[in-house]
Amino acid sequence: MKFSIYRFNPERDPKPYMQDYEIPLLAEDRMLLDVILRLKTLDDSISIRKSCREGVCGSDAININGRNGLACITPVRGLKEPVVLRPLPSFPVIRDLIVDMSQFFKQYHSIKPYLINDEPPPERERLQSPEDREKLDGLYECILCGCCTSQCPSSWWNPDKFVGPAGLLQAERFIVDSRDRATQERLDDLNDVYRLFRCRTIMNCTEVCPKGLAPSRAIEKIRLAMVKVRLERKPAP
Amino acid sequence: MKTTMTGLRAWLVQRVSAVYMLGFVVFVLGHFLVDPPGSYPAWRDWMRSPAVDSAASVFCATLLAHVWVGIRDVALDYLQPVVVRVFALWFLGVGLAGAGVWLICTLWPQRG
Repeated sequence: MKFSIYRFNPERDPKPYMQDYEIPLLAEDRMLLDVILRLKTLDDSISIRKSCREGVCGSDAININGRNGLACITPVRGLKEPVVLRPLPSFPVIRDLIVDMSQFFKQYHSIKPYLINDEPPPERERLQSPEDREKLDGLYECILCGCCTSQCPSSWWNPDKFVGPAGLLQAERFIVDSRDRATQERLDDLNDVYRLFRCRTIMNCTEVCPKGLAPSRAIEKIRLAMVKVRLERKPAP
Repeated sequence: MKTTMTGLRAWLVQRVSAVYMLGFVVFVLGHFLVDPPGSYPAWRDWMRSPAVDSAASVFCATLLAHVWVGIRDVALDYLQPVVVRVFALWFLGVGLAGAGVWLICTLWPQRG
């Protein structure tokens, strides 16, 4: 099988280049990451980030034939040759397929991804009804791989100001959480020209999410929550 | 909640104006299909009826607001240098104000 892999070592290479490889597929090669790791035994200078190898950690998010995805859960036999592998678009490249996700996690942390509740803690735990717990489905499963944000044109244009689809999906996860008491503050924080409203509903995020989540729907729900708060707000005396 | 013309308010203006404009266009096209005016004076009289006149006035206002929010969004995305962006938005504002005056002078000469 033929591969064309993005190579860049900032300590050695003046600029990035694509390097071609050819490797026969073995019976045990099921996912793309299996083949990349075998390629690495032939050329140990290829750099890729990986950890769990089963689509849970999100470490091995790369651009595969123009589309972001996780190498560990992408069946290799269905890919068009040559398989073109690049680092996640728009993220600064550290080396080869490894990108710097500092900006991504900075935006993620900016939405305060934790429960905010100043009420006295109960003896055991803060309980939720099954209905309230159900509201978190489709939100809590995000593994922060960055596939969505990296493929979002709005994030390309304003990566330092637009929270991005992954961060906004997480924001919605805490906005709808019945145990959280900072809904108003969270909505206020996002009601800005950039942080939420740079989303143009392009929906690349939902298209490429390897976990099948829908950040664009979460973003729409945040907007509707803002509208609802605006309508319910009592006029100033 | 913030009340500046930035996030939610601009988004609402864009959505509400789009829905209104769509409704107005469907209304006008529907009228022309069902009861087309036979002559220019008939069309002018229909346009000058209070209901249509008011609806057309709101249409023009929503069109200008919609264009402002839409092109402002494009400027926020693509025009990164602040000076260029401010100049572009100023140019847009002046252009839209001129278009508004021109619309009033054309469609409602008695007001202009």
